Amino acid sequence: MKNPITMPVLSDTMQSGRLTRWNKSVGDPVKKGEAIAEVETDKAILDVEAFSDGYLAGPLAETNSDIPVRQVIGYILDQPAAAEKTGDVVSAQPTVSKKSPASPQPAADTVKNLENLGNSALAYNHDGAASASVQPRSPTLPPSVTSTIAHAAGNISPYARALAEDLGIKLQQISPGPDGQIHASQVLAAAMSAPDVDLQMGPPYQLEKLSSLRAAVARNMTATLHTPTFLISSRIALETMQKNCKAKGLSFTLALGKACALTVAEDPWFNHVWTGQGLAKRQRVDLGIAVDTGEGLITPVLRDAAARPLRELAEDWRILLGKIKKGRIAPQDYQGASFYLSNLGIFPEIERFNALVPTGAAAILAVAAAGQDGKTDFTLSCDHRVIFGADAARFLQRLGKRLEDITWLQ
Amino acid sequence: MSEEIYYWQALNRAMDTEMAADDSIITLGEDVGLYGGTYRVTEGLMAKYGEWRVRDTPISENSFTGLGVGAAMLGLRPVVEIMTINFALFAIDAIINMAAKIPFMSGGQFPMPLTIRMPGGVARQLGAQHSQRLEHTLMNVPGLRMVVPATPQDAYGQLRQAIHSDDPIIFLEHELLYFSKGVVDETAVAPPIHQAMLRRTGRDMTCIAYSQMVLLALEAAEQLASEGIEMTVIDLRSLSPIDWETCVQSVQQTHHCLIVEEDCRFAGAGAELAATLQERCFYFLDKPIQRVAGLDIPTPFNGKLEAASIPRTKDIIEAARRLVSSAGVQS
Repeated sequence: MKNPITMPVLSDTMQSGRLTRWNKSVGDPVKKGEAIAEVETDKAILDVEAFSDGYLAGPLAETNSDIPVRQVIGYILDQPAAAEKTGDVVSAQPTVSKKSPASPQPAADTVKNLENLGNSALAYNHDGAASASVQPRSPTLPPSVTSTIAHAAGNISPYARALAEDLGIKLQQISPGPDGQIHASQVLAAAMSAPDVDLQMGPPYQLEKLSSLRAAVARNMTATLHTPTFLISSRIALETMQKNCKAKGLSFTLALGKACALTVAEDPWFNHVWTGQGLAKRQRVDLGIAVDTGEGLITPVLRDAAARPLRELAEDWRILLGKIKKGRIAPQDYQGASFYLSNLGIFPEIERFNALVPTGAAAILAVAAAGQDGKTDFTLSCDHRVIFGADAARFLQRLGKRLEDITWLQ
Repeated sequence: MSEEIYYWQALNRAMDTEMAADDSIITLGEDVGLYGGTYRVTEGLMAKYGEWRVRDTPISENSFTGLGVGAAMLGLRPVVEIMTINFALFAIDAIINMAAKIPFMSGGQFPMPLTIRMPGGVARQLGAQHSQRLEHTLMNVPGLRMVVPATPQDAYGQLRQAIHSDDPIIFLEHELLYFSKGVVDETAVAPPIHQAMLRRTGRDMTCIAYSQMVLLALEAAEQLASEGIEMTVIDLRSLSPIDWETCVQSVQQTHHCLIVEEDCRFAGAGAELAATLQERCFYFLDKPIQRVAGLDIPTPFNGKLEAASIPRTKDIIEAARRLVSSAGVQS
């Protein structure tokens, strides 16, 4: 039995993954659950685990290539002998297609052979048996191969071409689909997406592909475009709290987060989110805190941040930051927050800023640096489908009180 | 008055209805009289219409088919039964050189109201010589028409239409269809004899099939629907001429075309369909036209090999999945 290994779906926003490494080579025995490859997703590097015992078999997908989710990247075989036969890594231009599909098949199972020959018109050669050197008339490969790798890159289907012409889409604007070809769905996607930037008249430039992290941020931020947002600000004195945190050796951002979570818990509307099907009322406050990784933005999530003690949250926070440092943060670590906090307080020049409400939440709080008057600007961005102005005003009022009178922190 | 009857019964009723209405209609062939036909199609007709109009013939296909040609030239409307399409090879001269050409070569002086009925296709382990699908041979003869009914209703309607036609018509039945059942409404107005029919409509892809393969395509469509793939199934009903309009319209809507034929893949109906549809639908195709067809080999006798040599429902399902999935993504 030859079982395909597919690019795993590691998060709901993941459309493709970058295969960074094979830990095993073709023919190596693998154990169920063993990490056989590494994949870079939107935000992290994760292991691909073997789903059964067996032997790794090719063709293996190339490393450092973006591969759509669920596409086959390799195979696991029951038998070691068969594993070696199927060959090694295939490049984008497969040599497989040059082989006659009839030749490498052992005569072990005639029915199977008949099936493999399938519709290739090889079983009975109309050119006569003598013409051994003649290429097969229709070199159709067994289906599994045809659909994954046997396509030359960059083709466009006739319908896609006609559609692109009708819609006035330039072919250069269209990114090919998973098979490297352009079909109607890719043309439609290009038609729906923002118009392409024209750089012809500007300075010379080089194109670089977005890193997975940047691509994910770009997608998520674009997705927030349709949220009707309003902003509301307040100035709050943080001196007492800052001193207190310093004395306790507590992360100021974390304390700020805890204060937010407690304030959200008092008014559940800040923990709801608008969905196409209705209002999603969440039953605990999961707080996402924006972190600058140096390579982009990530929002690790503190689960149940209102109810759990600060001590526990601090431990979680330490672990999350560690994972970010190692590039090992997983989707369950950074997805699904119900309220967000973004603190740029370490930049003393920043008097004020506002943040975009991520999809999946109704509000995000942007905290700047303290001003001349010793007060700090808090700007709350709210989804007006869920939160109204007066609610937001009361939220900032309560948060302000909580931050100035810090009995809860003691 | 519609009821569920067997395919052979539908043919029998069509014969009976036509023979009762028109004395010039005769039928001849091996065992069509006393025995009532190998698949019972002429059952009871000899008793009713006599041995002059329902004639048993010697085992000599070229002779009795030629006799049918002569009878047609002289004003009768013969229905010749050839026991299986494999034996039609003996009658090729009468069919191709005579029936197909006389109306043309006589400048229309001799119409050819001749119907030649025969079963074809792979049944169950009858060996290579009795499992042929020779539609690719006969549909390639200019001057002949060929119909391939898949349902009892079409068997009934198309046989009556064939008998009425002044052109020579190959009426191709399928050995596995004789005992399939379906509702036949004898009063229904039949669609034009060569018109294809949509047996099922779906937005994702078009499957074109004929005869026995229509039933498999419909089975496949049912399962594909449960996976979210909506497949249109076109029953061609006629291989010569082919109703291109119906096929083109559907492919222009779905942009994906799968052709299913039991006949060998090489140079047959599927090849003709693929060639013409790409000519006529090129700018509407989002994927290359796909074919699921019989292998280009003499049919093996071994039951498993035999089954693997022609399309099965699962082959259609797999081909359909590949056709509509974004290629490269496998489930």
